[in-house]
Amino acid sequence: MKSLRQIRFLLDKDLRIELRKKESLVSMAFFGALILVMLNISSGIGRQVDAETGAGILWVAIIFSSVLGLGRVFSREKENGCVAALLISPVTPGEIFVAKTLVNFTLMLLSELVLVPVFYVLFGAQLSFSLLTLLPVLLLVNLGFSTTGTLISAISAGTRRNEVLLPILLFPLILPLTALAVKATAATMAAKPFAELLPQLEPMFAFCVIFSAVGYLLFPFTIRED
Amino acid sequence: MSNGSAFLSISGLRKSYGAQEALCGVDLDLQRGEFLCLFGPNGAGKSTLLKIIATLLRPDAGQVKVCDYDLEEHPEQYRAHLGMVSHQSFVYQDLTVLENLEFYAALYGVEQPRERALELLDQVNLADRYDMLAANLSRGMQQRLSIARALINDPELLLLDEPYTGLDEYAASVLRDQLQLLHDRKRTIIMVTHNLRRGMESATKLGILARGELVYLEQKAAIDPTSFEDLYFRHLEMA
Amino acid sequence: MSALNRSTIFPGLSALLISAAIGMVFFYAPLEKTMGSVQKIFYFHLPLALTAFLSFFVAFISGIMYLRSRKRIWDARLASSVEIGVVLTTLVLITGSLWGKPIWNTYWTWDPRLTTSLILWFIFASCLILRSAVDDEGKRATYSAVLAIVGFIDVPIVFLSARLWRSIHPTVIRADSIGLEFSMLMTLLVCMAAMLAFWVGLYKFRVSLQLQEAEVNDLINQKR
Repeated sequence: MKSLRQIRFLLDKDLRIELRKKESLVSMAFFGALILVMLNISSGIGRQVDAETGAGILWVAIIFSSVLGLGRVFSREKENGCVAALLISPVTPGEIFVAKTLVNFTLMLLSELVLVPVFYVLFGAQLSFSLLTLLPVLLLVNLGFSTTGTLISAISAGTRRNEVLLPILLFPLILPLTALAVKATAATMAAKPFAELLPQLEPMFAFCVIFSAVGYLLFPFTIRED
Repeated sequence: MSNGSAFLSISGLRKSYGAQEALCGVDLDLQRGEFLCLFGPNGAGKSTLLKIIATLLRPDAGQVKVCDYDLEEHPEQYRAHLGMVSHQSFVYQDLTVLENLEFYAALYGVEQPRERALELLDQVNLADRYDMLAANLSRGMQQRLSIARALINDPELLLLDEPYTGLDEYAASVLRDQLQLLHDRKRTIIMVTHNLRRGMESATKLGILARGELVYLEQKAAIDPTSFEDLYFRHLEMA
Repeated sequence: MSALNRSTIFPGLSALLISAAIGMVFFYAPLEKTMGSVQKIFYFHLPLALTAFLSFFVAFISGIMYLRSRKRIWDARLASSVEIGVVLTTLVLITGSLWGKPIWNTYWTWDPRLTTSLILWFIFASCLILRSAVDDEGKRATYSAVLAIVGFIDVPIVFLSARLWRSIHPTVIRADSIGLEFSMLMTLLVCMAAMLAFWVGLYKFRVSLQLQEAEVNDLINQKR
């Protein structure tokens, strides 16, 4: 109970800052849309992409743009030493991990509200559109990306090259998740029934569970000084 | 609490970074309500000592005992009664003055967080700036906000790491007044500083930390100020 | 003097075994019927792959031990095994594609094993990049320990999902499904022993070098 309250306070604080400054969200949506436009042009103007390529394009845009938001999640705490203030408060590192994961999850979901429609405007002519089957894929990737990303961003924020290191360290780890998501998304875009997505969704779910647990256990080491 | 046992009891504290020993066996007892000021040259281990007491660092050996709170098993309970002022302000630039205090008040489970925040803002003379973003405050105001932040949970134990560094005169006097108020209410305070004058004016106990050891510790009442200054400068020269 | 002798055991042993292994590969092991001489690269490929995996396993264990004990020696072990593992994985990928070109008619295919090796390479190479970006010894050790643990846990996930996301892949000729002839098996075993001795020797050198480096840094810091 107390943990949930602390997590809510931390989450409220981050979302309040985000809504006020809008720096992460705007840059995520803008950069993601930019990637979609660039890939649209480079896939040949006026040419239709098939479901598999389309799914790949969508996920490249989402993953690359989400790194921008993730980078800010921790660097904000490092300003003025606020991490130390949290560590000497009654909050536990595990609560910080959950709160930061949820912040990132929310940011990704909000930017996807922009990116998915933009994707369908640019590429959607020949692809089927079923939000109902796409939604579980989006949610699972958001969760897996956010847990892994929160852990890795705590590491990269402690180095001299935060922005450069974050994608370098994170992308190899989430590659299986991305690959599965692409395959599942391709199935939704080819109007396959939901049952055909399950072979991909199950390992994605396993990824989320494993990395939530691993992140929760290892996160305290990455933010403490000793 | 019995009168004989100390409020804070540190024994055999050791910490090293690589081969460099920051603390080599520090023992220290403080009674409730004592105000200890620790002096020492750079690299004497003062910040390390405070960080260990604040549970930011784990010692290699030795232990810190604080009465009533079990540091090992429930650090959160202990932290709930701990305050810290550091040379970093610990405030969020993109939150307003009031939001900063309310956020920390919520984390500490303060009842009536807004009232407590406003009361503190009044004490550090920032009440009329409550809705300004912390980023837009002047340096001195930020420092006063940072002092208010550290006091949000009315700490039983307050740790101050070089609090006077970079403080303007007004903020310094605000800090001194707040420390006096806390001291009057029997709160325990440990301050680490370079500033002899500031340190000596409010402390009840003075200590010198050099090369990771507590080389001197005495009640202020029993100390002759000039000979203490001489001793301190000798240790500065040796470092 | 005795320390010097001890430190030359594994380099000496691996020099012997590697010469023996090369001799056996080219003069003792028979020529494989369908693949011809290309198959001989397999005698290096498999031991390389096994020692590469061993490196990452050692890194994983060292990471856990470092986080538990905070002892410098575990960081040295972790750093050394990650370095060696990256080099060995590079060689695995190179020997694999050299073999794949004539046999599969392509240097690269998204077979689960290839995919896993490649991603493993990326994860642990990124660990080396991370180490170069952190100056503080304690932080560097903690961060790389966390990454080594996470990276190792990622391996089975990568392998399982690679099997799922590329369902049509060329049939891989798996070592354990071909009945290896006795002379081939002997050659393979000698090659493995050679690679293992080489691994241990290299690992010991790297660990002691890491420790010496840390001590030199201590001296520099003390002077400051």
